[in-house]
Amino acid sequence: MEHPRRRYSDRIFDALPGYLTVQDRNFRIVAANESFRTNFGNFEDRYCYQVYKQRPERCEDCPVARTFHDGQQHHSEELVTTLEGRQVSVLVYTTPILGDNGEVAEVIEMSTDVTEMKGLHKQLHDSRQKYRQLFEDVPCFISIQDRDLNIVDANRMHRETFGVGYGRKCYEVYKHRTTECMPCTVKQTFSDGLTHSHEEVVTSQTGEAINVLVHTAPVRSENGEIESVIEMSANITEVRQLQDKLASVGMLIGTISHGIKGLLNGLDGGIYLINSGLKKDDRPRIDKGWDIALRNVQRIRSMVMDILYYAKDREPNWEEISAGDLARDICNLITERAKKMQIDLLCVVEGDGRLECDPQMIRSLLVNLVENSLDACRIDSEKPAHQVKVELTELPETVQFVVTDNGIGMDQETRGKVFSLFFSSKGAGGTGLGLFISNKIAQAHGGRILVESEEKKGSRFLVELPRRRPDLAHAEENTT
Amino acid sequence: MADMKKILVVDDEPDMVEWLTTFFQDNGYGTSFAYDGFSGFEKVKSEKPDLITLDISMEKESGIKMYRKLHEDKETSKIPVVMLTGVSADFKRFISTRSQVPPPQAYFEKPVDRDELLKKVRELIG
Repeated sequence: MEHPRRRYSDRIFDALPGYLTVQDRNFRIVAANESFRTNFGNFEDRYCYQVYKQRPERCEDCPVARTFHDGQQHHSEELVTTLEGRQVSVLVYTTPILGDNGEVAEVIEMSTDVTEMKGLHKQLHDSRQKYRQLFEDVPCFISIQDRDLNIVDANRMHRETFGVGYGRKCYEVYKHRTTECMPCTVKQTFSDGLTHSHEEVVTSQTGEAINVLVHTAPVRSENGEIESVIEMSANITEVRQLQDKLASVGMLIGTISHGIKGLLNGLDGGIYLINSGLKKDDRPRIDKGWDIALRNVQRIRSMVMDILYYAKDREPNWEEISAGDLARDICNLITERAKKMQIDLLCVVEGDGRLECDPQMIRSLLVNLVENSLDACRIDSEKPAHQVKVELTELPETVQFVVTDNGIGMDQETRGKVFSLFFSSKGAGGTGLGLFISNKIAQAHGGRILVESEEKKGSRFLVELPRRRPDLAHAEENTT
Repeated sequence: MADMKKILVVDDEPDMVEWLTTFFQDNGYGTSFAYDGFSGFEKVKSEKPDLITLDISMEKESGIKMYRKLHEDKETSKIPVVMLTGVSADFKRFISTRSQVPPPQAYFEKPVDRDELLKKVRELIG
C-alpha cells in the first residue's frame, strides 16, 4: 500500500504546469510529469537530449550538468521539439536533489513554454524597430527635449545637419545661442500640453541658414504627465527662397515703375526747356533741355540693361582682352558726357595687360561705376570743381580698376548698403539695381569690389579681377 | 516787379531744379532753389518765399524733416508747401506722421503734370 502523502506529492508533481523531469548523472530521465509525458511521450530509459532535441549526445551547454557540477540552481533558454514535431521555446530552471551524504544525486529540470511570450516579444521588438526606423528616416528634423530644453533624442536628419547634440540645449544646437529663445514653443507645450507651431531660421553645423516650420507636441507617461516634448521641424528653405524671389520680382516691378516715373519727369522737363527755348529762340535753354533729355535717355538704357541682367543670370562669355584698351574705351565713351557736366575726367591707364573676362559685362560694370561717380559729382553743390579718375593697376595675378570721385560721398550706413538689391540713395533717379549687379558681375569673374567713401569728400571704388578665368587658374594649380 | 511772388524749389536732382525754376519764371514767379532739406530751410528763413515745392526723398536731409522743421517754426509754418515725389510710399509714410504736422497744401506725384501744378500754385498764392 502506497503512503497517502507520497501519492499527494505525486499528484502535485503531475499537476504542475510546464515540463518537469528528474534526471540522473547521465541525463537519463528518471521521472517526468504529465505535461511532459503528453508532449514528449515515454521517457523511460531515454535521455534528456534524445527526448527534447533528438540528439545522440548531450548538449554542450547543459544547465543540468552545471547543477550536477556545482550543486547550484541554473537556467537557460532552449528550443525543444515535441512529439508532434512542434518547436517550443522554453525557459529552463534546474535545481539539485541531494542524496543522503549531501551529494547531488539527481537534478530536477523544469521547462516553461514561453513560445507565445517570445512571439509577443518579437512583435513588440519589431514594432519598436519600425517606429524607430520611422523616427530615424522621416525627412524632417526631430528632437525630443526634457523640461530644461536638453535634447535627449534626435533623428538621423537632425544629427546629420546639426551634429550629435544629446545632452545639449536645444537653442545651442539649433541657433548657436547661449540663452533660450523667446517665446519658446517647447516650454509652451510643457506648460499647456498643447501642440504649437511657429516659423524659425536655424543654423546648421556648417553655418547654413535653414528656414523651418516647427511643430511641438507633448510626450506623456503612462499616468498622463508630460515627460518630454517632441519638436518636429520641416525644412521650408526652398519655399521661402521661392517666396523671396517672387517678392523681389514684385519689388522689381515697383522699382522699375518708380524709376520710369523719375525718368519721364526728367524727359518732360527736358522737353519743356527745348520747346520753350525754341519759342524764345534761347539757345542756351535749348542746350540745357537737350542735355537733360539725353541724360534721361542714357539712364533708360542703363536701367533696361540692368533689368535684363537681373532677369537672366547668365554665365560670363569668356574672352581674352586688353585691360588697358577696355579702360581707355570707357574713358572715351564718358569724356563727352563728363565735359558737358563740367566734370574733369582723368584717365590714368597704361600698359596692355591681358585679362580673361566677359568684356560686355566688365564694360557695363565699369560704366556703371563711372556714371555713379559722375552723378555723385553732379549733385554736389559744395565744391567748386569736380573730378572723376579712372585708373588701371596691373598686378601679376590680378588687374585693378579704380574709379575715384570728389562728389557727395556716402555716410557709413549708405556705404554698408551700397551693394544691396533695391537700395538706392538717388531718390527718384535710382532703381537700386546698378551696384547690386556690378557686384554680381565681379563675383562671377572671381573678383570683388571694395568701397571707400567719406561723406562730403567723395568715393573710391576698386574692382579687383583675376587675370585668368578662376576655374582654369584653379585647374592649372592642381596639375602643377 | 516788387510784388512778384517767390517760389523756393527744393530738390536734390539738378535737372528737376533747372526745369521747375525755368517753368515758374516763365509763368511770372521769382525763384530760388536748394538741393537738400537743410539748406532749403536756411533759404526759407533768409528769403521768406511765398511757396515751397519740396521733394521728399533727398540724400542729405529729407523733405519730411524739412517739412517738420517748417511747421515747428512760427515764422515759417504758414508758408504753403507743395510736395513733389516719385515715390507714393514716401507720401504714405509722410501722411502716417500727420499727428505731428498738418498735411501739405498739395501733393504731386512725379512725373508732375505742369498745368495742374501751375493751377495749384496760382490757387495758393495767386
